[in-house]
Amino acid sequence: MTVVAGQSPTIVVNGTRELPWTQGMTVRDVLRLCNFTYSLIIVTVNGRIVPKEEFDTFPVPPEAEVRVIHLIAGG
Amino acid sequence: MKILATRPERCTGCGACEIECARTWFKVDDKEKSRIRIFPPAKEGQPFRIVVCNQNGACIDVCPTVALKRAKNGVVQLNKSLCVGCLSCVGFCPNQAMFYHPDYTEPFKCVACGKCVEVCPEDALYIAEVAEAPASVTDTWLQKEAI
Amino acid sequence: MSHHIEEMKAAHRLLAEFTYERYPVQRGYTNRTLYINLSDSTIASKPVSEEMKEKFTGGKGFGLWLLWHGIRDTTKWNDPENEIIISAGPIGGITTYPGTGKSLVVSLSPLTDSVMDCNVGGYFGPYLKFAGWDALEIQGKAEKDVIIFIDGDTGRITIEEAPLEPVDTHLLTDILVQMYGGDDHHARRAISTVTAGSGAEHTRFGCLNFSWYDLRRRAARVKQAGRGGIGTVFRDKRIKALVVKFSDLKADSNGPADLARLQRVGTKMHKEIHDYDDQQCGMRRHGTAYLVGIMNDYDLLPVHNFRYGSHPDGHKIDVRVWDARFTQGVPDGCWYGCTLSCSHAVDGFTLRTGPYKGQKVIVDGPEYENAAGLGANCGIFDPDYILEANFYCDTYALDTISIGTSIAFAMECYEMGIIDKRATGGLDLRFGNAEAAIEVIHQMGRGEGFGTIIGQGVRRMKKIFVEQYGADPKILQDIGMEAKGLEFSQYMPKESLAQQAGYGMASKGPQHDEAWLIFMDMVNNQIPTMEDKAEALHYFPIWRTWFGLCGLCKLPWNDIVPPDNALTDEPTKIPEHVRNYVEIFSAVTGRQVTSEDLLLMSERVYNFQRVFNLRMGFGTREHDKIPYRAQGPVTVEEYESRAERYDKQLKALGYDVEKMSTPEKVAALRAYREKQYEELMDAVYARRGWTRNGVPKVETLQRLGIDYPDVVEIVRRAGG
Repeated sequence: MTVVAGQSPTIVVNGTRELPWTQGMTVRDVLRLCNFTYSLIIVTVNGRIVPKEEFDTFPVPPEAEVRVIHLIAGG
Repeated sequence: MKILATRPERCTGCGACEIECARTWFKVDDKEKSRIRIFPPAKEGQPFRIVVCNQNGACIDVCPTVALKRAKNGVVQLNKSLCVGCLSCVGFCPNQAMFYHPDYTEPFKCVACGKCVEVCPEDALYIAEVAEAPASVTDTWLQKEAI
Repeated sequence: MSHHIEEMKAAHRLLAEFTYERYPVQRGYTNRTLYINLSDSTIASKPVSEEMKEKFTGGKGFGLWLLWHGIRDTTKWNDPENEIIISAGPIGGITTYPGTGKSLVVSLSPLTDSVMDCNVGGYFGPYLKFAGWDALEIQGKAEKDVIIFIDGDTGRITIEEAPLEPVDTHLLTDILVQMYGGDDHHARRAISTVTAGSGAEHTRFGCLNFSWYDLRRRAARVKQAGRGGIGTVFRDKRIKALVVKFSDLKADSNGPADLARLQRVGTKMHKEIHDYDDQQCGMRRHGTAYLVGIMNDYDLLPVHNFRYGSHPDGHKIDVRVWDARFTQGVPDGCWYGCTLSCSHAVDGFTLRTGPYKGQKVIVDGPEYENAAGLGANCGIFDPDYILEANFYCDTYALDTISIGTSIAFAMECYEMGIIDKRATGGLDLRFGNAEAAIEVIHQMGRGEGFGTIIGQGVRRMKKIFVEQYGADPKILQDIGMEAKGLEFSQYMPKESLAQQAGYGMASKGPQHDEAWLIFMDMVNNQIPTMEDKAEALHYFPIWRTWFGLCGLCKLPWNDIVPPDNALTDEPTKIPEHVRNYVEIFSAVTGRQVTSEDLLLMSERVYNFQRVFNLRMGFGTREHDKIPYRAQGPVTVEEYESRAERYDKQLKALGYDVEKMSTPEKVAALRAYREKQYEELMDAVYARRGWTRNGVPKVETLQRLGIDYPDVVEIVRRAGG
C-alpha cells in the first residue's frame, strides 16, 4: 500500500483495528496502544514474524498490516 | 566442600572417565550409564565439553519428594528409596548434568567420588575445594519445620 | 498420633470389609473397577471389558459409562442410585510428564439435574489405580457418616462408621493423613483423601477436596473438584471421606509399555518449562492468578455480575499482589513430576472471621477463578477478603466459581431493589461489601439465613425471587448468569460470539474447560466466519475432552509453548505438544496411535455425554441458550459504558445511531446478537453431525461406534 498525500497514514491490527501511524513506530508501541499485555503472543508485520527480542526496535511502516496472535486458544 | 572440577582444554575425549564411572556405579562398561559425559567440540579448535555436576543444588528445590539433599560433605545426593522417577531434576539442571537411563527408574548424578580423576590420562579432572553452597529453599523450610 | 485422633479412630465401627489381591497395573489399566453400595455395605470388584477401554478410554469416559448403567432415566441427584465415580484414566499416575495426575469425577448434579464431570488434581485417582482400581463407583446412601478406606498396600477395603471427626476439609484432611499415614512425613504422602465440608451439606454447589502432601510445609493440601455440586451429593450419601493408601510409587507404577519413550518426551518437556515458563506465563511463579490483570486489561474480567469487563481497582487484586503474598518460594505441583507447578499458597494467614477466627492457616491459591469470582465479580477488590473467602470456600467445600457468580447475582438483585434487607435477613448486599459476602459464606457453612438461598444457585434463586418477591422473570433471566443450571465461570464472553457458544454449548454447563476462544475470536480475529467459529467449536471441545479421558491437566498443553511454535502451521493447536501426547499415550498403552485417533476417542465420549443429557431430559437446542448478559449489554448503563464499541457495531449494520435513543440501540444490538448466536448454533450442530435441534444423528453415532441399542433409541426419540 502507498501513503496517500494529505491523508494521515494508519496501520491495521488483526484485520479490524485501525490505528494512526506515527513516525518511528515500533512493535512495542503498537502493543502498548492496543493494551496487549498478555505475554504468549506471535507478532507479524506485513506477514513477517517479529522475534520477541526485536519488539522494542522493529519498525512498523505506514499502512502496515500487523497481526498479534494471542496464543491461548481453546482454553 | 569438594566438587569434581574440570580442565576441558586438556580433555582428548578418550572416554576413560565415563567407562570408569559406569563401572564404579553400575558395574558395566556402558558410557550411557556414566555420571560424567564427554561431548565432542561443537566447532573445530574448541575444547571437548565435559558435563558433570558442580553441586550447585538447583535440583534440590525441584524435587517433589525431597529425595535430593545436600549431604554434610556438600555433595548433592539422591535418596533412591524416596525418588519417584519424575526426572524433573533432569530437565531443570542448569548444566544438564543429571542423567537417566531407561534401565532404571531413578536418575543419577556425580557425587564427586573422584574415581574418574584417577583414570584421566590428561589430568583434565580434579577434585577441587570450593566455598559452601548457600542453603536451598527446601533446606530453609525443613529447618523451619524442625524448630 | 495425638490422643484426640486415637480417640476418633477408636470410635470407628467397621461396617464392611473386602480383601483382594493387588495386581500390578498393565499398560495404564488394572482392568477392574471397584463398586461400593453404601445402602447395604456391598463392596465388589467389576471387570473392565476391552470394549469399555476401546470406546470410552478411561477417566471421564469410564465415569459416564458406569453411571449410564448404574441409574435410571428418572434418577435424581439425591436418589440412592445416583453414583459418584472417580477414575484416573490410562495415563493418570505416570510421573515422567507434567500434569498427569488428574482424577475425573462424574455424578448427577444437584444444580443441573443432569450428568456432571470435574477434573481435579491431588493424589487420589492415581493412588486408586495403583491400589488396583481403574475407577471407584459409589452408589447408595449410608445411614450415618462413613469413611471408605482403600489400602492399596495390603489389598483391603473397609467401610467404617466415623462419628467423631469434623467435616470441614482443613481439619479433616489433616486428621486423616495422620490417622492413616502415621507420624512419618514420607508415609503421609502415601495417603490421599477426598473430603467435602459443612457448606456442601447446605448448598447445591458443594465441591470435593482431593489431597496431596506438601513435603516442605509438611502438611496436606487440597485441590477442588469444583463444578456442579458433587460435594453436595457426597454429603447426601453421608460420606465423610474417602481415603486411599499406596506406598510404592515409582516411575513404572503405571506399567507403561515403553518407559524409555516416556522418559524421553518427559525430560524434553521439563527442560522446555525450565527454559521458557519464566518469560511466558510464569505458572511456576504465580499460577493462574497472573490472569487477573490480563483479563482486566482486555475487558474480560467479570465485574458486578458480568455487567463490565474491567474495573479501575482491578490492579488491587492482580499478580503483583499475589506474588508478594505467595510464601513458599518453591513451586508446587499437585502431582509428582508436574514442573509447571501452578499450585501456590499463602502461609500463616490469620483468619479474621467465622468459626476458625484467629487460627493461622495455609490458604491454597488464590487461582484466577477465585480472585475473579469472589473478588471482581462481586465488586470486592480486597486481597485479604479474597484469601479469607477462598479459605472458607475450600474448607466448607463450596465451589468458588458458582458461589462467586451466585453472590454477584444476589448483589445485583439487591442493588436493583428486587430483593431488600427483609429478604437478605438484614445483610446490606451491595457490590463491594466484603463483610456481607463473608457472612453469606459462613451462613452456608452453618446452614442458616440468606446464605442458604444463595447456596441454591442462580437458577433456583431466580425462581424464589419471582415467587416470593414478585420479581420480573424476564430481567432475572437476562442477568442470571447460569445455563443448564450451572453458574458461568469467570470470563466475560460478551464480545466474543464463539466464546458465548463455547459456554452455552458445553455439555455440563457454562464452564470454560471445553472452549476458551476469546483471544482467537475477539482479539486475534482468526475465526471471522460462522464456519470458522464452528470448526473451532468442534475441534477444541473434542481435543480438550481427551485430557479428561486420560487423567491429564490441560495446562502443559498450551500454557507453555515451544520456542518455534510460531513457525508451525497451526500455532494455536500447539502441534509439538499434541505430538507429545501421541507419544505418551502410545508409550503407556503400547497402542501406536495418531493425533486423529486421540480425537476419535474424545468425539465418542463427547457425543455419548450429549446423549446422556438427552436421556435425563435435557441436551437439546433450548438447553444451549444463554442469558443475554453473556451476549451483550442488558441495561442502558451497560451500553453507555462501552457506547463507542456498540455504536460502531450498529453503524456497521447500517443503523443511524445518531437518531436512536439508548434503549432503541440496546434493543437493536440485542436482536442482532441473538440472531447471530442462533446462526452459530446451526453451524456448530452441522459441524458436529447433530440435528438442528442439537441431537446427535444416528449416523454420527454409527460413525463413532457408539450406536448401542439404548443410545440409538434415545436419539431416535429426540428426532436424531
